[in-house]
Amino acid sequence: MKGNQFSVKVYETVVENEEQFISFFDNNYTLFKDHLISIRGHLSKEIRDYLKSKELNYVHNKTIPRSRPRKEVENELIKESIEIKEDLAKLSEQVKNNLTVLDTIVRSGREIKIEGDLLLLNRVNSGATIETSGNIIMTDAVEGNVRCHGSFLMMGPSPKANIIFNGIVVENDLLKDKLNKIELINHRIVITPVLKKEKSWV
Amino acid sequence: MGLVIAVISGKGGVGKTTATANIGLGIAQNNKRCVVVDFDIGQRNLDMILGLENRVVYDLVQVMDKEATLRQALIRSKVDENMFFLAASQTKDKTVLTSAKVQKLVANLKKEFDFVILDAPAGIESGYEHTIEFADVAIVVVNPEVSSIRDADRAIGILDSKSQKVKEGHEVGKYLIINRIVPAMVKSGEMLRSQDILEILSINLLGKVPEDRGVIDASNQGRPIILDKNSQAGQAYKRIAGRLCGQEVPMLDIESNEKGIFGKLAGMFS
Repeated sequence: MKGNQFSVKVYETVVENEEQFISFFDNNYTLFKDHLISIRGHLSKEIRDYLKSKELNYVHNKTIPRSRPRKEVENELIKESIEIKEDLAKLSEQVKNNLTVLDTIVRSGREIKIEGDLLLLNRVNSGATIETSGNIIMTDAVEGNVRCHGSFLMMGPSPKANIIFNGIVVENDLLKDKLNKIELINHRIVITPVLKKEKSWV
Repeated sequence: MGLVIAVISGKGGVGKTTATANIGLGIAQNNKRCVVVDFDIGQRNLDMILGLENRVVYDLVQVMDKEATLRQALIRSKVDENMFFLAASQTKDKTVLTSAKVQKLVANLKKEFDFVILDAPAGIESGYEHTIEFADVAIVVVNPEVSSIRDADRAIGILDSKSQKVKEGHEVGKYLIINRIVPAMVKSGEMLRSQDILEILSINLLGKVPEDRGVIDASNQGRPIILDKNSQAGQAYKRIAGRLCGQEVPMLDIESNEKGIFGKLAGMFS
């Protein structure tokens, strides 16, 4: 759809004295010929004929939408955008509350239980346990126990790890790539590579 | 004020007490006043390794309980006048230790010595916790085998949560000694490589000590191996002591066991 938007100047008035009205428009003709004249109240045939003869555009007893001051419009727009921003903030808060980011080494004997998701940027050593109700992404070597109850688990090749994903033991041999995504689809474990193995030329 | 070093390992039998004795003597040889303290209450060994078993009259528990003064209980080494020894009690057990008593003893030793080396008991029980509680740094001794490394990892974890320094918001320095390395076994892949161990434990390397037949005899004789100038392990402890005293001692690649560039080249093509 194509359209144009433009502003019109409107002169709104009420006919109180016909002679006065005609003389006013005669005097200010140059000014009003580009205006839309909005007439409220009674409109006689004489005035109608006068306006027609002068080719002045007019409307009678019509409500014309008034444009509001720019400031008011801007304020309303800002308010709307703030409302959107607040929604985003709420969402990110939700994600934040649900996501734990850890960059400390998880040493033997440590047991980390997390409600929600976990992003772990350090090692899980042999004898340590990680358990989450949500998803896990682990970027470093994992040699300990992993108990994930989320919808996915991402980790690298971990021949020594003990991985249980939603109650199902994950065979270590299946984690071949640099980063693997483990999911449960139709009660079956599906492993897909996220980052392929780097090729070594040595 | 001296530096308090706890020598820890988690697992027993990896050479903690041997390391303590040798490092203590090595530091003393660098003209620093050093005291080694046996914290293995009820199973004292350090006195034998230092050859001072017949000199022990008072032990650290008696000092803590004010049955003896520190001066009475400190035993000067026969081989180096800068080195002192404080024995563990052989008749009591580690439940006699309390934080307040340990803190007081450590504070008093810190005033008198440049280095206070505490030989921790094996395991991670209360005796271990009291040893690390007031230490400034820890030396972790491991053997290149998985069980030793896992136990050390656990001990480091406890150190990071129970140490007084950590509770005050500071970090406890942690340094690793890899003990009893057999270069041929590392080469053949039977023994863990140092870089793998460092990656697992992620702490700084203080030194590598090769397996040395002389160590057992040295312990039996009560003459720490560092006194034997021909021993590889002794030389390794000498380098470690030098590093602790602030010297720049290059890390020797004892695992490849080949000396000089020709040896390294030969290693590349073998």
